[in-house]
Amino acid sequence: MHRVLLPFEFAEPTTVRGALALIDGEKTRALAGGVDLVLRMRLRQVLPEKVVSLQKLPHLDYVRADDLGLAFGALASLRQLEASRAVREGWPLLAEAIGSIGSVQVKVQGTGVGNLCVGTPASDVAPALYALGARVRLTGLADEREIPIEEFFLDVGKTAVRPHELVTEIVVPRPPAGSGAAFMKLAKTSEDIAKVNVAVMVSVGDGAYADVSIALGSVAPTPLRAVEAESLLRMAPVGEAAGVGNPAGAAAANRVSPALEATGNPVSPGLEAAAQAAAQAAVPISDVRSTASYRKEMVRVLVKDALARATARALAGRSDVQAPGGVS
Amino acid sequence: MTKQIAAFTVNGAEREAIIEPHMLLIDVLRDQFALTGTKYACGTGDCGACTVLLDGKPSLSCLILAVTAIGKSILTIEGLAEGPELHPLQQSFVDEGAIQCGFCTPGMILSAKSLLDENPDPSLDEIRHALAGNLCRCTGYVAIFNAVQAAAAAMKTDSTGTEARP
Amino acid sequence: MRDALDKNPGFDPRSGGTSAPSTTGAPPATSRTIEGEFSCVGKPLPRPDVAAKATGAAVYGADLVLPGMLTGRILTSPYAHAKILSIDTSKAKALAGVAAVITHEDVPKLRFTRSVMAEGLPPFAYEGENQDQFILSDKARYVGDWIAAVAAVDTYTAEKALDLIEVEYEQLPAVFDPEEALKPGSPIIHEGWPGNVAGVIDHPFSRGDLDKALADSDYVVEFRGRNSRQKQAHLEPDVAVARWEPDGRLTVWSPNQNAHLAKKTMAQRILGINEGDIRWITTTVGGGFGARLSFGVEPVAVLLAKITGKPVKVFVTREEDFSGWSSRTEQRQTIRMGVTKGGTITAIEQRILSDAGAYFSHSGTISAVNMQATLGVMRSPVVSGKATIVYTNNPTSSGMRGYGNPEGSFVLQQAIDMAAEKCGMDPLEFRLKNAKGTGEPSMWEPVTLTSCALETCIRLGAERIGWKEKWHGWGASTGAAGPSPGGRYRRGVGMSIMTHASGAGGFLLEHSSAIIKLDEDGSVQLAVSPCEMGQGILGALSQIAAEGMGLRYEDVHVITGDTDVTLFDIGSHASRSTYAIGNAVLDAARQVRATVLERAAGILETSPRALDIRGGSVFVKADPTQTVAVAEIARGAIYDYGLEGRHITATGKHQALTHCPNFQAGFSEIEVDTETGVIKVLKYVVAHDIGRAINPLTVESCLQGGAYQGLGYALTEDLIIDEHTGKVLTDSFATYKMLSALDMPEVEVILVEEPDPSGPYGAKGVGETGITNVAPSIANALYDACRIRIHSLPMTPEKVLAALAAAPQSPDYNGG
Repeated sequence: MHRVLLPFEFAEPTTVRGALALIDGEKTRALAGGVDLVLRMRLRQVLPEKVVSLQKLPHLDYVRADDLGLAFGALASLRQLEASRAVREGWPLLAEAIGSIGSVQVKVQGTGVGNLCVGTPASDVAPALYALGARVRLTGLADEREIPIEEFFLDVGKTAVRPHELVTEIVVPRPPAGSGAAFMKLAKTSEDIAKVNVAVMVSVGDGAYADVSIALGSVAPTPLRAVEAESLLRMAPVGEAAGVGNPAGAAAANRVSPALEATGNPVSPGLEAAAQAAAQAAVPISDVRSTASYRKEMVRVLVKDALARATARALAGRSDVQAPGGVS
Repeated sequence: MTKQIAAFTVNGAEREAIIEPHMLLIDVLRDQFALTGTKYACGTGDCGACTVLLDGKPSLSCLILAVTAIGKSILTIEGLAEGPELHPLQQSFVDEGAIQCGFCTPGMILSAKSLLDENPDPSLDEIRHALAGNLCRCTGYVAIFNAVQAAAAAMKTDSTGTEARP
Repeated sequence: MRDALDKNPGFDPRSGGTSAPSTTGAPPATSRTIEGEFSCVGKPLPRPDVAAKATGAAVYGADLVLPGMLTGRILTSPYAHAKILSIDTSKAKALAGVAAVITHEDVPKLRFTRSVMAEGLPPFAYEGENQDQFILSDKARYVGDWIAAVAAVDTYTAEKALDLIEVEYEQLPAVFDPEEALKPGSPIIHEGWPGNVAGVIDHPFSRGDLDKALADSDYVVEFRGRNSRQKQAHLEPDVAVARWEPDGRLTVWSPNQNAHLAKKTMAQRILGINEGDIRWITTTVGGGFGARLSFGVEPVAVLLAKITGKPVKVFVTREEDFSGWSSRTEQRQTIRMGVTKGGTITAIEQRILSDAGAYFSHSGTISAVNMQATLGVMRSPVVSGKATIVYTNNPTSSGMRGYGNPEGSFVLQQAIDMAAEKCGMDPLEFRLKNAKGTGEPSMWEPVTLTSCALETCIRLGAERIGWKEKWHGWGASTGAAGPSPGGRYRRGVGMSIMTHASGAGGFLLEHSSAIIKLDEDGSVQLAVSPCEMGQGILGALSQIAAEGMGLRYEDVHVITGDTDVTLFDIGSHASRSTYAIGNAVLDAARQVRATVLERAAGILETSPRALDIRGGSVFVKADPTQTVAVAEIARGAIYDYGLEGRHITATGKHQALTHCPNFQAGFSEIEVDTETGVIKVLKYVVAHDIGRAINPLTVESCLQGGAYQGLGYALTEDLIIDEHTGKVLTDSFATYKMLSALDMPEVEVILVEEPDPSGPYGAKGVGETGITNVAPSIANALYDACRIRIHSLPMTPEKVLAALAAAPQSPDYNGG
């Protein structure tokens, strides 16, 4: 157990190319915000010979939105993303997910890309990006590639980033009109890593679910899509789920307390079946945060609640999110 | 080993330190600048006791390599008061009983300052969110919330020059 | 908010458990004091220690830098139980910048116990404190046990040296469950204690025929429960600085809560030198909560300083602190209670299995205090208590805020509710009927309660939580709220009561001294030896001093934290400082006041009795225009060129065989999500019998903070130890979860002020108490909401769901 770091070489390139030439992901590590890397170096979990700071790379701290979608660079902080008006209005799911990270300091220092590159299945950002259908742009020395985020996470702590490659950008398509989304998380406290987190996005048209995406975090070696559950709901009619015809339902769409929201809104059998299918997809472990069986069961509850909330939001035509909150 | 003389703007003054890449910002502040108001408590970024304002933003000095802070402006708790007069936040923390053991106080006050810089009239909910990264083991936070609200009111009075009415 | 006795003038706790105004039984004289008569006491004055904390100027142990100082770090064991075959320190010693590397071969061959508070025990009781460890171990007994230590020029070098120490271990079978540890054939952890039985304690006030009483009872209820190893989690990691002075004396700087007793332990139990050879300086303390009633790293700093001849600072990381030598002691308890149909308690039995961990530390005293508090709050003709203390290969436990009371109350208060249910009684009425009151024996039975505002606490707390409207009742019977409507989200209310000591008189050495000197400008220096660890004691004592002398608050300057200057004191614990040290301060203040009045009488040509002092000015009571400043008297006393010259000083003392118990009621309202198992606390109300709030702001903040720690204890804080390796898995704030600013629910604090005749201005203790009623009141609220009981802390959503799944749904609940 240690209080200080072991010595290492340090480089601070000012071009992406310069950085790529150095970073091999093993002996040489990239440092963006450093929240994870510096801690793990103190704990001697990683001992790079060289640390390459990306902080001096120009023009990578952008958050850009247009008609097509959202794009943010490798150095865009979680705080920047959370505070961005464009994100809050156009991609409220992402803002809601980042809002569930309590510590302001962590969000100031930590980057969205760094959060993904840690490779933890407990990332709060990842399920939101899964549900939104985000793509990851990786830049290598020779080429550039773009992959769906589902292909980015490989295993606990393992991502698709190759030696001499950097994630330079995340691209998120604009959610379709008539969609609604919700992020939900269970944790020991409001400032904790998720026991389970869930991000869902639904689009509703003609009284039926036109599209559904359900992403789960912290219940498998990587975040995952509950594909079976999604297909169960796709084209299914929107029932009583979110209180259609019930004025309280629409009003509840953006309440912070799930308690208030769910009260008096009986969940349709369709949502329950989808929620159960999602739980079946989960393969959680037991650790200090929770047990495998609890996590599996909570996938069901959270997916059900999140679907109800997302549907209510879709029906209420709400497309932005309130100031970020940490309430699970 | 790459030792270098590095310059920082610390509490408004240019300061130099001899640093190596593996040195944490908190250790440079404490050991080389004798700014021991910045506290080391967890080393994992979970408690916020080491919070300083780096270019105005609340940052965890126990998880920042000093080398990445070169040239930046750092505000520590020692730089908050102007002369012998306490900053309104410091004064309200004293007056509202928001300080018990005091170990979280510097980081807590700096997080609160960052909030008030951005949002001079925060709601209770906004205060809670702004302080979510700062643990206090003694007070149960209530007195701290009161202190931030009192400071916001006092600072508003200061800036408008009008008397605040309760 | 405060509720002074003045608002409830006729209340007399002796009038048989009713709140009907009564004119009999005159309350103690001090309670007649009219609000506003005091100039300092009862005012929310800012504390003297906090401005330095707000500016970063306060010097904590880690901030201390001495010329030539070295950094010391400790090598800990990776194994829970292992023989040390060899330690090779040669590479570490050869590293440039390393001044010393020490192992068990270098430590004094005196065994000691970490509990320095134990030095306050009477000799016969101290014999039960197992002297079972050396500064560095010759055998690893838990993951984190101290094996070697290094002193070097800086932290970088010291930690590099630690990495170069080569230890050859032979792993031994280990045992982590106290029940397993007691079984024959279990690995033996200490040679001197066969069967791993570290001690057995019989409750000294057990009486009556338990079996007969239970057999004769109309109902018998039994509840088993187990508390978690809550961490004190003071934000300041442990640290100590030691320096051997040129004259051969030793100076130690540390955040220890009992400086004078630490000095004694260090001198007599570890070093074999005289107490006078040690000067112990208490640094600014970044939180204590009982952790610092033990030695932390002080002995290592002392030894490294001795060997190197240089000052040495030793510190630990948060991870090391979590894997170390202090947490609440895990106690598995059973309460059996007999009651009559009419709701009178006939017998209470408590059995405790206490897991000391690898070393004895506080596990004995904490078991004894648990039984005193748990068996001492309710009236019962038959009482039986017994604690068995067991060694395991878990980290060593110690004292944590409440010191046995939050452990016992979690079990007792649920048993009380179960008994009330059997009798079909409102648990509030059941408690009022059976709780002790003024004139009855205290938790330490030879002592008689001289005050008890428990009934007022219960009634005011119940009103604030809305007990009458919200409590659902037992099944078909009682409860204005009627049965819970069921559904996914269910609400419930629950309550808990407790008594706690204000000091240790009766069972521990209990005396305090205070020195006051009156300087020539009319200001005073007050030398006292509490441990200001954030509780605001320096402010409270200054207020008592100023009030007692008739001076202004700002005239009082406190000198503290230096055993060379202050008189003997047993330190800050047992919620004693305001009461015990406050009495010593008041005694000294009154002596100074008497001296001032005597000299003033000469000047004003009247008798001292005709005079009073206010705001630093002596005046003739009959003619307040005749005055003389205290400063003039003080200056005149010092610059007296005749034969009456003196520096006006006084030494005050408090000595007592009583401990003036305080009382408290806590009420929780919760909402349970029966699908996630999440308990949301909507509101917590605590009503505390404070006697007199010397500084109401400080007292409120103390109770808020206690509630905060109680909420964590109840719901989220969990020191999880790997059952195979013995490693602490929650060794950081990332995994050991305390509530954040976003999680804190509304807490309402009610201060009930019914002054006790023995306290300074009627004050009683409060420090530890705020934590105690939270978990049991939430547990009882959980039963009110969902008809389930949780038997272990914390009450996690996982446990709630499991209990809901196992519980037969009673007919009045329709939800699933």
